[in-house]
Amino acid sequence: MTPREIAVVVLIAGGVFFAVVAAVGLIRLPDVYARAHSTSKSETLGAVLTLGAVAASYGIGFNTLKVVLLLLFMFLTNPTAAHAITRAAHELGIEPWTGEEGEDEP
Amino acid sequence: MVAVTESRLLVPVDESASLRNTVAHAVEEALDRAGESGSPAAVHFVYPLAERISFRSSSTRAESARSLLDRVASWAEEDANGADVTIETALVATHEYLSTPNDYADVLVRYANEHDLGLAVFDPRYDPIGSTPLLPSLEAEVRRAGLGVEEAPRNAEQSSQPLVRRGTLTQFFALFAASFGFYLLLAGSVAPFELATGAISAGIVAVALWRVSLTSPVAPPDTVKRLVRFCLYVPFLLWEIVKANVEIAYIVLHPDLPIDPEMVEFDAAVWSALPVTTLANSITLTPGTLTVDVERQHLIIHTLTASAREDLFAGTLERAVRFVFYGRAAARIPSPFERREEEES
Repeated sequence: MTPREIAVVVLIAGGVFFAVVAAVGLIRLPDVYARAHSTSKSETLGAVLTLGAVAASYGIGFNTLKVVLLLLFMFLTNPTAAHAITRAAHELGIEPWTGEEGEDEP
Repeated sequence: MVAVTESRLLVPVDESASLRNTVAHAVEEALDRAGESGSPAAVHFVYPLAERISFRSSSTRAESARSLLDRVASWAEEDANGADVTIETALVATHEYLSTPNDYADVLVRYANEHDLGLAVFDPRYDPIGSTPLLPSLEAEVRRAGLGVEEAPRNAEQSSQPLVRRGTLTQFFALFAASFGFYLLLAGSVAPFELATGAISAGIVAVALWRVSLTSPVAPPDTVKRLVRFCLYVPFLLWEIVKANVEIAYIVLHPDLPIDPEMVEFDAAVWSALPVTTLANSITLTPGTLTVDVERQHLIIHTLTASAREDLFAGTLERAVRFVFYGRAAARIPSPFERREEEES
């Protein structure tokens, strides 16, 4: 394997790992706010690492530049989306889970 | 408000072609009303100097605002011509970030209540936001708050206004250049075809959006400085993001799910739209913190763990954002935690 292939594999493995973490977090975390943490952060890094792998496999060129732009937009739009969702929840008056209600909730 | 206070006038001022006329009208109105009701006349000229505030105490905007207020005061005294009228000027909202007509109305109404002013006289061309017609909704808001509202008459001879102001022309070209550059970047070539279609697209974008997308004048040196500092900020942010993710991954995959979520609020020490947006987005991207709501510079943040809260109040991110937008001097002001301690002590 060339160094580039190794880099691509490592990046993709990282991307998959964080995407899985995002999915697991979405299921395990208790409420809409905590779940938004999982989707906004792990999701972003997963996508970013995967796109990084794409950029690495293209090598230097215009396509890479476009991928980098995609990365930039992920960084702008992902937190904004998470913010929009939690803000909507907040305005609907959904109380955040604080762990005080009892042990029955995961 | 009752008739007794109606001889006390509030006049918001900003650079405008009809300002001279408005000042004359306001003074005359105040004297008339004072004559009718027998109560003393007063005219307060206020300048809401928001959003553009910077750390340099003698910032150029503040200076030009002050000189405008001085000019207004001397005009008003000239108009009063020795008559008994109190003239005062004030810069208001210097530490707030105003973006909507409601924000402006809030500030004006607050000032009016503090100084017992019952009538607001607006310049027909009062337009502090500069890109959107603000006056009708501002007037409606002020009226709803219980103040009288009046618009100074338009003076026919002053109706001609330069069609394009210099600032907006630069904005137009800045937007055009940015769109054109972006188009060529995506096209990946500078063939005549791409140049032509790019120019057309950028032209359409610039014509359609120049009044929307760049609301403040473009100052190239500042912008370049900010871009450079922003480039320093990106690696820092990336590192924080990686740390955030390792931490979240640990928490999510831990069998006990060791979380301790709590909603916290604080006032960020950043003052305008872009820095607040950057800060809010950065907070969302970093360890266990998520911006839920933003009102002006007041942030409501959901934190997942106690260590995330500590990091947030240590103010590293906030400081970094200030560094990007206002320079190194601004980075040194106290963290939210220190500010809170100061308030409590």
